[in-house]
Amino acid sequence: MALLEIKNLHAFVGDKEILKGLNLTIEAGEVHAIMGRNGCGKSTLASVIAGHPAYRVTEGHILFKGQDILPLSPDARANSGIFLAFQYPVELPGVGLAQFLKAALNAKQVFEGKPPMDAVQFMKHMNLRAKALGISPEMLKRPVNVGFSGGEKKRLETFQMAMLEPDFCILDEMDSGLDVDALKVVGQGVSVMREPHRGFMIITHHDDLLQYVKPDKVSIMLDGQIVRTGGSDFVRQVEEQGYDSFR
Amino acid sequence: MIPSDNPFLIHTQVATTLTQKSPTEWLFDVSENGELKADFLRTTQDLTLTIILSGIGAKCDINCIYLCNQNNKINIDIKVLHKSKNTTSSQQIRGIATDKGRVSFTGTITIPYDAQKCDGHQNHRGILLSDTAEISATPQLEIWADDVKCAHGSAIGPLDENQIFYLKTRGIPEQEAKKILLSSFFSGFISPDFDSFIQDWMTHV
Repeated sequence: MALLEIKNLHAFVGDKEILKGLNLTIEAGEVHAIMGRNGCGKSTLASVIAGHPAYRVTEGHILFKGQDILPLSPDARANSGIFLAFQYPVELPGVGLAQFLKAALNAKQVFEGKPPMDAVQFMKHMNLRAKALGISPEMLKRPVNVGFSGGEKKRLETFQMAMLEPDFCILDEMDSGLDVDALKVVGQGVSVMREPHRGFMIITHHDDLLQYVKPDKVSIMLDGQIVRTGGSDFVRQVEEQGYDSFR
Repeated sequence: MIPSDNPFLIHTQVATTLTQKSPTEWLFDVSENGELKADFLRTTQDLTLTIILSGIGAKCDINCIYLCNQNNKINIDIKVLHKSKNTTSSQQIRGIATDKGRVSFTGTITIPYDAQKCDGHQNHRGILLSDTAEISATPQLEIWADDVKCAHGSAIGPLDENQIFYLKTRGIPEQEAKKILLSSFFSGFISPDFDSFIQDWMTHV
């Protein structure tokens, strides 16, 4: 059974069709890059998998570990193992990062019928991962994403991913506007988390992040559909010949 | 614990007199170099507040919270009169309306023509948690002096959908996500003495 299987997915925002019969399969253990130029529907795909209410799915299925997730709320999808790292992480003024992460981890514990983590367990879990990703204790006290630079926000998304240990990670344009140092942090975050049971979907329009995380497969997206799926050699073809060479 | 009909908590009261005009109406008079700093909380009753900055250099700093549910109606009317020069006022009003609750806020800042070098600020933010709740805000600035600073702002709307979605993508259920956002709306804004009352009110919404 594939980790994620998308069949004939059609999705609209308002009355505009963005995804036009998209098919995609991602196996456990796989790092799968989705490449396409701006406006082809890549970010819509990420939002639809996560369950954003602005998108209306009219046809098709998304199966995650064999289960149809379309009827599930975004929080139920997250708790069953799907994580979305945002292209534009949302600011939460007044909500401290540690408080936010504790609420998220405990929601997962409750979902799995386990008791909430106690303060000591939580601090251990958090400090270990914060240290590995260069998140300072001072950053943990600040409100979520408020006043952080673009690079810091992406680092925090990677940190949240490490905290929640999802089975399927979607990285939506995590490399846009990042300098080399921040790219390395995101790349390391992914590399450290690569495991046989976990899959990654890396959405991008160029090869910046893919220099640090070598994908197993690359799918090319054009106008709301996956047109070709191949190996990592597709990354070079995109850089050298452009997306139209896949038509 | 603050009982729901206790209207305020005074933090600083220097050279300030307080007169109660009616069960819901108070007048503060701040004289020269005096200072008033107070938090107000309303859940069912009206509030009419008049603050006269009557002496040179008088200051006031007012925070007001309203929490309006069921069929409650709350009228909040705050008038600040900068009677003397070099006076400073700050009013921050924040609140939530849900169910069929109706809130009307009127905030008036008056600066007469001879009260130069005054500074008046007013900011209101209201969150609507149901389609049947209503919040209206009427800021009124009556500024006659020319060498003054004065600013006001008001924003009324539901909780931010993108913030709710972000919390949900981290596994946090909708009700809890909303509670986190509502708590953050008041955090650091008002005296911690009100916290348990606000938390308690929110669990019943």
